[in-house]
Amino acid sequence: MSDGQIVVSGLTKHYKNVRAVDNLSFTVEPGRVTGFLGPNGAGKTTTLRMLLNLVKPTAGTATIGGQRYADLKDPLRTVGAVLEASSAHKGRTGINHLRVICGAAGFPRQRADEVMATVGLTPAAKRKFKGYSLGMRQRLGIAAALLGDPQVLVLDEPANGLDPEGIRWMRDLLKALAAQGRTVLVSSHLLSEMQLLADDLVIIAAGKLVRQGTVTQVMDSMAHSAQVRVRTPQVEELTSALTALKATVTPNGEGALMVAGIDAPGVGRAALKAGVELHELTLERPDLERVFLELTAGKAAIR
Amino acid sequence: MNLVRSEFLKIRTTNAWWLFGLGAFAMLALTFLVNALGAYYALSEPTPEGLNPDDAATFEATRDVVYQAANLYTSGQFFGLLFVLLLGIVVITSEFQHQTVTTTFLSTPHRTAVILAKLVAAALAGAGYWLVTTALNIPATIIFLSTQDVSNQLGEWPVLRSILLNLLAYVLWGVLGVGFGVLIRSQIGATVTAVALYLLGTAAGAIFFTLFANWLDADWISDLQYGLPSIASGLMVSGTNIPGQPVFWVGAVVLVGWSVLTGTIGTLITRTRDIS
Repeated sequence: MSDGQIVVSGLTKHYKNVRAVDNLSFTVEPGRVTGFLGPNGAGKTTTLRMLLNLVKPTAGTATIGGQRYADLKDPLRTVGAVLEASSAHKGRTGINHLRVICGAAGFPRQRADEVMATVGLTPAAKRKFKGYSLGMRQRLGIAAALLGDPQVLVLDEPANGLDPEGIRWMRDLLKALAAQGRTVLVSSHLLSEMQLLADDLVIIAAGKLVRQGTVTQVMDSMAHSAQVRVRTPQVEELTSALTALKATVTPNGEGALMVAGIDAPGVGRAALKAGVELHELTLERPDLERVFLELTAGKAAIR
Repeated sequence: MNLVRSEFLKIRTTNAWWLFGLGAFAMLALTFLVNALGAYYALSEPTPEGLNPDDAATFEATRDVVYQAANLYTSGQFFGLLFVLLLGIVVITSEFQHQTVTTTFLSTPHRTAVILAKLVAAALAGAGYWLVTTALNIPATIIFLSTQDVSNQLGEWPVLRSILLNLLAYVLWGVLGVGFGVLIRSQIGATVTAVALYLLGTAAGAIFFTLFANWLDADWISDLQYGLPSIASGLMVSGTNIPGQPVFWVGAVVLVGWSVLTGTIGTLITRTRDIS
């Protein structure tokens, strides 16, 4: 049963006047990096906290390998979580922070030194946490998550505050962990980063599921929003030919026209029929950011 | 056991314990001087003339060597307990202050076990403070008493009893601190409230109940002040019965009651609270 699949089913959390998470269901598969996306305030953090037994759901369940977090026999050996970068005592050294966790979980002390080396923090191990940069804090958080060599990793906005090199390091680490067959669930609002990192996507907005699937599936589901970029010296003729076919044409301000509602061969055929000369004809797939913005548009982040 | 060790490591790897220890030590030195001075006069001066019988009885009781010895051996209790209380508070509130409570509850989803471990760790830390305090008080008191040509009194059961009950007080105040810290999660808020309650509340409670008792002419109201944990701790370690005060074990019962109450409420609250 401990395959490390995460199953969220009907998960709901009401705060006084807000449905932070609203009947949310999705699954996260092992061996893949799953991006958990949503605008700020969409309920990502609340969902992760319910998964980890830190917040009590109003309704629904969240299980890891078939078990609720609270029922796991050895939680840190099953799940490693990085929830916020600043979660260590300011006056405690990094290595002591890890030793405290080792103590509580019954891991040997050396484990702290090992993970410190894994995340490249050994030189700063004996420095106090308040002297750590944001990037070092993230690394310490990841070190703590790796202590129990867990099958499942849950990370909330891990790229926050990392410099480009740190982001690259994190991406490589998470991909490597997923390649070892582990489940990796990463929440983020950094879409470009997710496009490089994630295999699967779970997109939520206003506490509800918007899309779930592989990155390609999610992008394809938005294929209708693909546009065709076209350049022509005869703008007016082409515009009238295309609008006759119920396509919408908008100048992109750089001398080209953006055409929606018709595919690229359709534009070419219409141009040939109208005897219009074409200088460029390109299908523009929407990037993740556009898809994301379209999917979550109108679901106000501030509720 | 792992949990208690981990909690103890948390205490050891930050500064609060030795800063509070330093504070407790300074206050110990001061109170020992004051107590020694008091004992010097009480043991050497005769009872003044012209006191009313009640006061004279009280004065007579404090002139007892056993009473003074117990008082000296437990010097520094009032402020020592305050620092143990603060340490107990920090044990829990620092988790919220530094957001480490997330990590703590991830390692141990059974929150009752975490709180119990914290109670035990704070109690052990309190016992540590008692050990150091007592280790300093014993030789100092022996030296002082010998200058007064009085034997060390350690053979007297009431004196030993006071020293041991003082240990109980230190242990229970650690527990009280954790319970208090759960109720007021803000570190600053909890510490300031605790210090204010401890210093002002003790005095205000004592004055209030005494005045009220005089006004209504009912002595039992005056005894209510022993329901306050700080006054109860003082009562618990008194070597002899002072007329007009309840028996020492009443203090112990009151303090145990408070500790059980705050510990239980704290545990129940923490079990269901959302951590975000």
